[in-house]
Amino acid sequence: MNWAATIGRTIFPNPVLAASGTFGLGARFPSVANGLGGVVTKGITLQPRAGNPPPRICEFPGGIINSVGLENPGLAAFKRDVLPGLTRLKCRVIVNIAGFAVDEYRELARGLNEDRVDAIELNVSCPNVREGGAVFGRSPRRVEAITRAVRAVTSKTVIVKLTANFVDPAATAKAAEAGGADAVTAINTLFGLALGESGRPFLGGGSGGVSGPALRPFALFCVDRVASAVRIPVIGCGGIMTGRDALDFLSAGASMVQVGTASLVDPRAPLLVWRELKAWCRKNGVGDWHQLVGRTRRAD
Amino acid sequence: MLAPVADARRIAAGVFSLWLECPGIAGRVAPGQFLNVRVTDGDDPLLRRPISVADVSGGRLRLVFRVVGRGTARLSRLRPADQLDLLGPLGRPAPALRRSDVLLVGGGIGAAPLLLLCRRLAEKNRVRVLLGAREKEQLILLREFRSLGCPVKVATDDGSYGHHGLVTELAEAGLENAKRPVVVACGPKPMLADLLKRLDPVPVWGFVEERMGCGTGICYCCALPRKDGGYVRFCQDGPVVLLNEVGL
Repeated sequence: MNWAATIGRTIFPNPVLAASGTFGLGARFPSVANGLGGVVTKGITLQPRAGNPPPRICEFPGGIINSVGLENPGLAAFKRDVLPGLTRLKCRVIVNIAGFAVDEYRELARGLNEDRVDAIELNVSCPNVREGGAVFGRSPRRVEAITRAVRAVTSKTVIVKLTANFVDPAATAKAAEAGGADAVTAINTLFGLALGESGRPFLGGGSGGVSGPALRPFALFCVDRVASAVRIPVIGCGGIMTGRDALDFLSAGASMVQVGTASLVDPRAPLLVWRELKAWCRKNGVGDWHQLVGRTRRAD
Repeated sequence: MLAPVADARRIAAGVFSLWLECPGIAGRVAPGQFLNVRVTDGDDPLLRRPISVADVSGGRLRLVFRVVGRGTARLSRLRPADQLDLLGPLGRPAPALRRSDVLLVGGGIGAAPLLLLCRRLAEKNRVRVLLGAREKEQLILLREFRSLGCPVKVATDDGSYGHHGLVTELAEAGLENAKRPVVVACGPKPMLADLLKRLDPVPVWGFVEERMGCGTGICYCCALPRKDGGYVRFCQDGPVVLLNEVGL
């Protein structure tokens, strides 16, 4: 059976990816990664970033709120220390990049024109930084400009990770498409606030990004909405914990899925999601999972 | 990994002990390492709870924990033959000391991870143990520490057992005549800070007992400020860290 997924020029062995920020820099669990379509690295910035002060995570019934603040070693150290380890993986490698100006995205993409990088995911949706991030992602004009700038300097597959914070992701998805993106990921975390008993923000960074099962219904809604607005493939993301959840995202129109928060509970989660999805297909006589993609709309 | 509960009991008010049948982890866990324990099959509470391994015996391992919230409350209701979903051993082992004068200082529930450490260090070091608690009823594992043959001193805040006062007040005397002094401590932050201040410049290793996300180094949610800038990811570079180098 053919389980491969194609986005842009990249052929992924299967449609399940480990999402950015919840699988480290990508090489921590090779035995898990090797069974996936690919891994998405933590967001990489031009300069190293120490990240936000602790606490960086809290729990609520149904999910978590995080405020890591893009802690990462920076582009140069990433290429020197991390990329060689990613080369040995059998799956595809997607590098998530985060800039604080259009030029920075361009420079990051240029710096990642390396054989070992299969695709670039543009993070225009990080909720935990003061500038850039979700602020860019709220403006279709900025999203298009960033995508276009990156497209001009790379022949890699370009994916834009969308936010749904105070913006219609269908609008920014169209902007990404117009800018030359090969796919969009929907959605990143939603803004969230947790307070301590003192009334002050609990998280060291102030507010944070909500993820986990509680995000799933809204993420699914967004995938359905985005998939009917653009022609490029949509990568579904948001609270996927099981193969059944992944199935729902395919039905809603996702061509691939990313597993995020579930990896914090069990680093094998993306692999288990893939196995469960595969088992469901076999059990239900689905020879090609592509026929599941977007069946929600087709059923109308 | 699924491990059946062999023994479950309350050992002090709000403090519970679990012996788990788990040869796969018991055979390779080192002192200082922890397990990340799933507290439910469902999605709430979602995250695992990191708990240091208190002791090992054959293919069994022991977890001792205090109930602090919904997750640990669930763990306290486990009964023999129940299964527990474990991830581990995780974290960096505590430093493998030799020919040192080791002072172990445990405050409250902090005594737990020091037990396995004491057992392993006692072979190649001179080890002394200080245990502190609010009151006599809150003292845990005293019998176990004594059975290891190291001198054990106790302090209680209310004077109901041993020294009347803080356990840290016993620290200087505990290092008397020490040629190669090293401290390993586990307990509340003020206790760790007080130890550092009293014993400076003696190296004080401490267990970080802060919130974690994944416990495996992939989420970057646990962060302890380093004095020279940046953060220590203590699920991977800890949980035992050299306290002299971090900001508590």
